[in-house]
Amino acid sequence: MNNVTEHTMQGTLRSLKGAALAAFAGVVLAACGGGAPTVENPAGPTGGGNTGPIYTGPTARDADVQRFQNTFWSDVREQGSCADCHNESTAQGPMFVRFDDVNAAYDESLSVVDLQMPGQSRVVEKVGQGHNCWSPDLSVCTSLMTRWIQNWAGAVAGGGRTINLTAPPSKDPGASKNFPDDASSFATLIHGPILTTYCSDCHSSEAETPQQPLIGDPDVGTAYDGAKSKIDLDDPAASRLVERLRNEFHNCWGGSCPNSANTMESAIATFAGGITATTVDPNLVISKALRLVDGTLASGGNRYENDQIALWEFKSGSEDPSIRIAADTSGVAPALDLNLSPEVEWFGGWGITLNGGKAQGSTTASKKLFDFIQSSNGLFSIEAWVIPANVTQEMARIVSYSAGPDARNFTLQQTLYDYDYRLRTTETGLNGDPALSTPSADEILQATLQHVVATYDPLEGRRIYVNGSLVSNVDQEPGGSIADWQDTFAFVLGNEASGDAPWEGTIRLVAIHNSALTQEQVTQNFDVGVGEKFFLLFDVSDVIQAAPQSSYILFQVQQYDTYAYLFEAPHFVTLDGSSPMGIPLQGMRIGLNGDEAPVGQSYSNLNTTLDATLFGELGQSLSDLGAVLPLEKGPQEDEFFLTFDLLGDQSFVRVEADPLVISPTDLDAQSEIGTRTFDEINATFAAVTGVDPNQTDVDMTYQELRQSLPAVEDINTFLSSHQVAIAQLAIEYCNALINDSTARAAYFPGFNFGAAPATAFGGANRDLFVDPLIANIVGNSRSGPQTASQPAFNTVYNELAAAVGDGNRPDNLVDRLMAGGSSTEAISKGVCAATLGSAATLVQ
Amino acid sequence: MKNMTWTKTSFAGRTGEKSTLLRSLIAGVLALVIAAPAIAGPREQARRIHDRLAGVPPTEAVLQQMETQVAGGNPVAAANIAMDNVNFYNVTLKNFAAPWTNRDQSVFVPLNDYVATVIGMVRDDVPFNTLLSADLQYVGRSGVVGTGPAANNNNHYEQLEANNVNLRDDLVPVAQSSINGLPSTATAGVMTSRAAAQAFFIAGTNRAMFRFTLLNHMCTDLEALKDPTLSPDRIRQDVSRSPGGDSRLFLNNCVGCHTGMDPMAQAFAYYNYPDVEADQPGAVEYTPGNVQPKYFNNDLNFPQGFRTPNDNWENYWRRGQNSYLGFDPNLSGQGTGAKSLGEELGNSYAFAACQVKKVFKAVCLREPEDNPDRNAVDTIVNTFRTTGYSMKQVFADTAVHCMGQ
Repeated sequence: MNNVTEHTMQGTLRSLKGAALAAFAGVVLAACGGGAPTVENPAGPTGGGNTGPIYTGPTARDADVQRFQNTFWSDVREQGSCADCHNESTAQGPMFVRFDDVNAAYDESLSVVDLQMPGQSRVVEKVGQGHNCWSPDLSVCTSLMTRWIQNWAGAVAGGGRTINLTAPPSKDPGASKNFPDDASSFATLIHGPILTTYCSDCHSSEAETPQQPLIGDPDVGTAYDGAKSKIDLDDPAASRLVERLRNEFHNCWGGSCPNSANTMESAIATFAGGITATTVDPNLVISKALRLVDGTLASGGNRYENDQIALWEFKSGSEDPSIRIAADTSGVAPALDLNLSPEVEWFGGWGITLNGGKAQGSTTASKKLFDFIQSSNGLFSIEAWVIPANVTQEMARIVSYSAGPDARNFTLQQTLYDYDYRLRTTETGLNGDPALSTPSADEILQATLQHVVATYDPLEGRRIYVNGSLVSNVDQEPGGSIADWQDTFAFVLGNEASGDAPWEGTIRLVAIHNSALTQEQVTQNFDVGVGEKFFLLFDVSDVIQAAPQSSYILFQVQQYDTYAYLFEAPHFVTLDGSSPMGIPLQGMRIGLNGDEAPVGQSYSNLNTTLDATLFGELGQSLSDLGAVLPLEKGPQEDEFFLTFDLLGDQSFVRVEADPLVISPTDLDAQSEIGTRTFDEINATFAAVTGVDPNQTDVDMTYQELRQSLPAVEDINTFLSSHQVAIAQLAIEYCNALINDSTARAAYFPGFNFGAAPATAFGGANRDLFVDPLIANIVGNSRSGPQTASQPAFNTVYNELAAAVGDGNRPDNLVDRLMAGGSSTEAISKGVCAATLGSAATLVQ
Repeated sequence: MKNMTWTKTSFAGRTGEKSTLLRSLIAGVLALVIAAPAIAGPREQARRIHDRLAGVPPTEAVLQQMETQVAGGNPVAAANIAMDNVNFYNVTLKNFAAPWTNRDQSVFVPLNDYVATVIGMVRDDVPFNTLLSADLQYVGRSGVVGTGPAANNNNHYEQLEANNVNLRDDLVPVAQSSINGLPSTATAGVMTSRAAAQAFFIAGTNRAMFRFTLLNHMCTDLEALKDPTLSPDRIRQDVSRSPGGDSRLFLNNCVGCHTGMDPMAQAFAYYNYPDVEADQPGAVEYTPGNVQPKYFNNDLNFPQGFRTPNDNWENYWRRGQNSYLGFDPNLSGQGTGAKSLGEELGNSYAFAACQVKKVFKAVCLREPEDNPDRNAVDTIVNTFRTTGYSMKQVFADTAVHCMGQ
């Protein structure tokens, strides 16, 4: 066994320094240094409760017993449940809470308490199994019992806590059945005949009061997702769906729980029987296997909790309506437990996800906050680990102690990228305004896990810390008193007490302190992190030909959220004091239930050499990176192992995936012609009229019309507005051409613009204008070669100058314009513009 | 743009006079309908080649020259005639490249150094595979406009456009580093042009430069290149691994793009463009040895993510499904800085194919739709890659393919 003293969890692996881990099992390493400054935690607050008769027995024989008496013994005694039996009167052994002799109680307690691993103490295990747990939620008893032991242990170790690296059981990765992606078999065998029939009245999104998990949801995918963690493919009888019926008699049908359970078990067995087990590729180079629960608990580090008056860790996960509560596990009486509304879901790895719901305490229990904070002269802090679901919600309450939208004591809320801190003092309004907000431009709030601390000190005012850093500006409303607070308000998470300011997101921890946490204390709690973490030791002794169970790859692992694990801080470590060197390691991957995880392999490019000369306290660091891997069956079931492309002299030749083959498919036939676009139209008009596009009027008009002209060639996108713009531009070009006596004379040789229309356009004179116009603009002349893809000369000439109305069509354009009484120049411009702005130039 | 002044009254007067004409003419304008011939002869083919390349109709004399070449079995020579038209440069190429230079992919942007460099490289047959790596910039010939090229503004190019300067004759090549002051080794063709920097290095995380380079020059967005099986070991700390508390979003979506993108976008670690309005002075910034702070934005979103130490990049897409992009086996697939990344991208098959596909769309006015089109594209791509990456050749070959039959 290897012991490492822990201060801050997140900082542990990075910061532990000192003696190398060349110690044999059982050797305790020196206390750590580095990382965030830490403050020794005294015994936790214990206010309230039944203190019982005054102790009159012998005094503590030494300092150790004195610490025991001040912490664990006192806490357990006050709670009363253990003390009722394990005392000298009832004589139920072990008598670790005997009232008559604290020294004897100390001696007895050593058999049921593990000071190095409080969470693994016998007393914790017993209450976790329901042995006289004083709460319907077993997690409350385990949390509090662990906390009391930690308080004792913390006092012993001077604030530090101890992690023991013990060799895990040696186990090869086994064949494992995994849930198929296709839910059809589940739908046929379990969902349809059982879950929708017997469970959908409650466990469905369409139920009047939907209960998680939604195993009876009409959507098979939703039901499948909800049911996976309740089905044990390898042992159907151990499935939670079966146990709930067989052992807990939960809404059985047909009047028989055994029959209901058998039906469920049979269906699951049939479903599992159709799944082929995944076996580990024998060619892989692999480590031994572990589950998360095989690891060494690494959480519960040295948070600063000296002035903590309420704490919610959201460990329960229970869907039993009678205990669907977020328990206050601060140990500070009275407990401010929060009732979860139906919309609230448990978050994997501890937490609650609020989707319009709320977690609210009674006004009576909430008064605890009022009392403790008033007694501290108004100093207090709100601390939370939160995951906003988005950055679009406004005025959404995260943590609130209020009466409704118009009155509050305090509120931490989200507005877009900002955290707002509203606090009622004598210097602010009854509704806590003006709020102190994080700077909007910095976009402090992100839709990811963040540690937020909002403090108040009547002298300094409000402060907001996010992820360990002070991010708020100086409070413009300091110096107020909280004497006006109301003790009738309710403490609520994720909403306003009145339910009209919902916040979408996840809360993983909330604590209230009756002091304004300092920067150091905030940093300390940020570094500790949140959630339950484990050290997993993957045995690679066989592969590197070391002594059995001596050489390991150590990971720190936690359930990252409901759907994933986080692996981080891999180290090479030995537990037997051996010092292997020069062992090549390449391409490390994490295996999951018989196969390599398909995504998230952050260490697949690792290329290093295992070398004991690089050992730090936790061994040789292999990478600073973390790996997020998908959760499959859940933390109790998922089995992990490591694979290597090269480790020592064993290698695995990996075959790269084939390149993607893209099979072309024919498209529908597309038009081979299109329209000219804006600049092309302008250039075309300039080219066929000879007008300089930089001519002021022309350029001015073009710049104005530029974005009104077609921007793409696709003829299907041509709009009437495009044609209007084209016509305007054509007019401008023709105007410029015909107003320029030199240019028009060259363009229309012989045509008399000074004559009256009847003369200018009379007889053959008309051709002096129309012929060059068509030749230049359309590109086909009267006598030259014709371009068949352009309108024929005769066709255009007929439209412009020759056709006579016959009842089915109007006269030609020249005659119609002449009939209107316009001048020769105006008629010329009109005919010019009609030709220029036509499809003859527009289409290419 | 020209500096134009007029009074609202006078302009309204002109407009009013013309609006009468306008109303009377629109119906007549629309009456002219073109009947495309079922079979195009050399004259029609020549006309289409000119229309598509130059954007304007040919004069009769030019048309006859081109017709002769087409009839003589040398349509590429006809295309070369069309490409001698100034509008091939001032209109076709300018609008061909303009959308690549801004995030909106709008064609309505002022002429800039990026566009001018594309025009010049096509004109001079500069090997186009150096587009993303060369120390090259095209500027107006000395004295052609009043303001010379500058690192911190676009005035020179806007004057070239406003004065309708002949871009066929009056663009000259210079070293980009001589304008923007970057070390020559830090230039990366149009990626380090002022226009690209202003559009894609401003604010953000510099991933925009990579993504838009993919869009514009590899003809694919990241979505099509998602490969979640690659290692996420270079994904930066700012990418939340559990967005909104749901890691499925990361594991099913985000990771697929970031596995490949982040290791390559690291090449831009030393570049930035100041966060100023578009019309304010600003020049590309280069801080060799110092990673830009933007690479550490939101670094506590996932502290266990990759922390950028330098501008070393690596192309993970050489392995796995995305190897179909066809990266040059003679290159190593990794390097330092933007220039070598530009070489990696510019010498890929996907880059060459993308240029051809863009030209095909610009000249044929449609996508390749069937086997003959796809075969033509393949042939043109191969010619492009094996004969010096001449874009003029691509335009000519494509125009010939689409000249009609």
